[in-house]
Amino acid sequence: MTRLREEVKKALSCKRVSWALTRFADNYVVAREKAYAGKDFAVLRQRVAQIKEETIARLEELAEQFVREATRRGAVVYRAASAEEARAYIADLARAKGIKTVVKSKSMATEEIHLNRFLQEQGLEVVETDLGEWIIQLSGQRPSHLVMPAIHMSRQEVAELFRRQIGVEVEPEISQMVQLARRELRKKFLSAWMGISGANVAVAETGTVAILTNEGNGRLTTTLPPVHVVVVGLEKLVPRLADIVPILEVLPRNATAQILTSYVTLITGSVPAVDPEGNYLPQKELHIILLDNGRTRMAADPVFREALKCIRCAACLNVCPVYQQLGGTFGAVYTGGIGVILTAFFTGFEEAAQLQELCLGCQRCREYCSANIDLPGLIEELRRRVVAKKGVGPAARVALAGILPRRRLFHGFLKTAARMQAPWVKEGKLCRLPFFPELTEGRALPPLSSVPFRERTAHLPRPQSPRGKVVFFSGCLIDYVFPGIGEAVGRVLAAMGRELVHPEGQGCCGFPAWQAGLPGTFARLAQQNLAALAEIEAEAVITACPTCTVALKYLYPEVLKGDAEWAELTRVLAEKVTDFSSFVWERREELLPFLAPIREKITYHDSCHLKYTLRASCFPRELLLAGGAELKEMEPAELCCGFGGSFTLKFPELSRAILERKLQAIEGSGAETVALDCPGCLWQIGSVFSGKTKHTAEILAASLKYPQAP
Amino acid sequence: MAEREELISAFSAQAQALGAEVYRASSPEEARALVKRLIEATGVRRVALASSPLLAPLNLALVIEAAGAELVKGSLREQAEQAEMGITAFELAVAETGTLVQDATELDTRLFSMLPPIHLALIPVKGLVANLEEALNYWLAKGEIPGYMAFISGPSRTADIERVLTIGVHGPGRLLIVLLGEEEAELND
Ligand code: SF4
Ligand code: SF4
Repeated sequence: MTRLREEVKKALSCKRVSWALTRFADNYVVAREKAYAGKDFAVLRQRVAQIKEETIARLEELAEQFVREATRRGAVVYRAASAEEARAYIADLARAKGIKTVVKSKSMATEEIHLNRFLQEQGLEVVETDLGEWIIQLSGQRPSHLVMPAIHMSRQEVAELFRRQIGVEVEPEISQMVQLARRELRKKFLSAWMGISGANVAVAETGTVAILTNEGNGRLTTTLPPVHVVVVGLEKLVPRLADIVPILEVLPRNATAQILTSYVTLITGSVPAVDPEGNYLPQKELHIILLDNGRTRMAADPVFREALKCIRCAACLNVCPVYQQLGGTFGAVYTGGIGVILTAFFTGFEEAAQLQELCLGCQRCREYCSANIDLPGLIEELRRRVVAKKGVGPAARVALAGILPRRRLFHGFLKTAARMQAPWVKEGKLCRLPFFPELTEGRALPPLSSVPFRERTAHLPRPQSPRGKVVFFSGCLIDYVFPGIGEAVGRVLAAMGRELVHPEGQGCCGFPAWQAGLPGTFARLAQQNLAALAEIEAEAVITACPTCTVALKYLYPEVLKGDAEWAELTRVLAEKVTDFSSFVWERREELLPFLAPIREKITYHDSCHLKYTLRASCFPRELLLAGGAELKEMEPAELCCGFGGSFTLKFPELSRAILERKLQAIEGSGAETVALDCPGCLWQIGSVFSGKTKHTAEILAASLKYPQAP
Repeated sequence: MAEREELISAFSAQAQALGAEVYRASSPEEARALVKRLIEATGVRRVALASSPLLAPLNLALVIEAAGAELVKGSLREQAEQAEMGITAFELAVAETGTLVQDATELDTRLFSMLPPIHLALIPVKGLVANLEEALNYWLAKGEIPGYMAFISGPSRTADIERVLTIGVHGPGRLLIVLLGEEEAELND
């Protein structure tokens, strides 16, 4: 078992964390929606993204302007190239001034450079003043969330910590503990000679830094000590003061579903102070450290520069199904999907190379990102670079690069496997798998079908006088595990008067190879499929697997764009490819007369690719409703089922934990049937749900009035 | 006029939703009486008063005394530490977000609005603007922005333990806002 998988298992063994995170996440999604009332998130985040794009393009110029302006207003600006330089600057400053006591307000940049440990080693007393950070500091842990560092701890744990570390008896009663923190930390504020803060925004035009807090510790840190040090990453720069408005509008809403934090502080240059001895200083010392530490390198990277748009709202963590299960284990200093990318540049490639495996590519974070960052896309790119550097491991290499692109070999392999699995199949379910016993623990997986779909096409119903011809791309799961879905597609389309063609030369869409970071193998598969599909003149190319649709429609053009010969073919194919439900919905008038009412209580599960990439998850719902089904929505419907292709093989326990959560949602809906449009989700959900789990095509096909089209 | 009233009610609703208490006085006499009542009602004994051109004509030192409280003395730090209530003035307020906006460059303003457990904030209704953008534009139009600007929305809060909202961590646990109205405001009251 890999070290990472060990860590994952350990994190999963503590249910408290996932309980707290999922409970927060559910409330968050609803509260956030409310906080955006009267605002258009899409427009706002576009503005944020534009501002940040300008920042990245003009990074050096803006940094210089910021230095000029802040200096003009009395600040001292230091440009630190590395974490060491930043730490040394602060330590030297403290030493030169004879400072012994420091208060800090929450700053991820200082976490990034491990400032506290360094200053403490230099003999300084450093106190975090954000309540969550203080708790984390007292407990010797590291923050588990960008915005809510102690979200993983219970009130009892905090009370126990206070008893142990401060020596004060306190009931595990939150308001009492907060008052205790106020008293303890007030003493620190009043006696500190240096305050260290981060900044949420740095404005080049005016040399201003903006700091957002709710507790007010940011204001005290920047007001009481006579020396103030700001540590701010270069990417926090924006060109103009007016640019902070969209950031102020998005950041609190996206972070904690607040319209604005209690305090927003704009500091421009030096201001008066009184020191702990009561001396009035007309000009306090303000030092601003503009931190690079890998950011310029990131800005020079054609792909990863996009991650510099991040404003650290943590929305991507809040909604991430993996983060919800693992908390801080999914990440390093910075956590979640964005943490993986930042770790690669700020900490080290090796650490990030491990962590990237934990992203199951569900796409949900992309929907919520304040800066419109394609985080799953960036993680995929990171994976490709990891694979390019280290390879994929022998088993995956054989399976993905060796067998997958050889269609006949692949086919033969699966046929043999279908025969060999017999001893483990009971009542049509796979009960225990050799090699992967974790996969079948406590659930029954569907076995490989003894007759794949490609050998069943001759028996599909055919309309007498076809109204058109459609090509069906079945994909591996339908071909070898769920041929019944393919047959259902055939029956529905026949009722609609379509002749279904299933070209023999098609194989796996290649997504597993793409996902594993093997673009070369993926391109080979793309070419094979293109050659097989392009031959046939057809109204549309239909798939009943959204992942195949995404591969054919979006990824083929991308991976083959440099090749003139293929580019045109991919473009033509991309236009014709559509998922089953969208195709039928568009032509529903042709189908509805042939449907008997669907008398089922159905809940609909959103498959990630259907919802977030194809944006088509409304169509199956509307079809089912039009067919007479009673739709009972689960909450949340869009949460991933935890399948994620090879993810479920690599992290079976994690995949299972995410699935458990989905199962709760399904059972909470009270429906008897789960409908979905993805055979992968069907594989996953069907293995644990005690009711029926069906593809939309199967539900429609079962309701056809006539088995054969008229 | 009607527009101003809309801003006032939007601001009040938003600020109250955040946990602030909003009051209104349409003349200096009313303001003085209101401040006296608020000091009495909160039962505070020691009050810190920030200097401000807006507050000067109200002569609040006398009001504080009349309410049976005293004005704290000593260095600015000592005053801020001892006071149970800090009184400061704001230039602007943002209706959409329920936010008060203040040039807090002067140390008394900055300390008195943050250290005492109760913050009494006075703001002329003519300082109400619709949104954050207008607030920022106001300062931009004045030329250089102040060295220290404070945007305050409700009392100090945290949800760092188990995500349970708790009021009054490092900053004031109570925020009392007094809107100083112009004559026109009376008509609609
Ligand atoms: S794609 Fe899904 S699993 Fe990956 S980081 Fe985003 S939300 Fe998490
Ligand atoms: S990546 Fe996007 S969602 Fe995640 S913290 Fe950054 S801005 Fe927020």
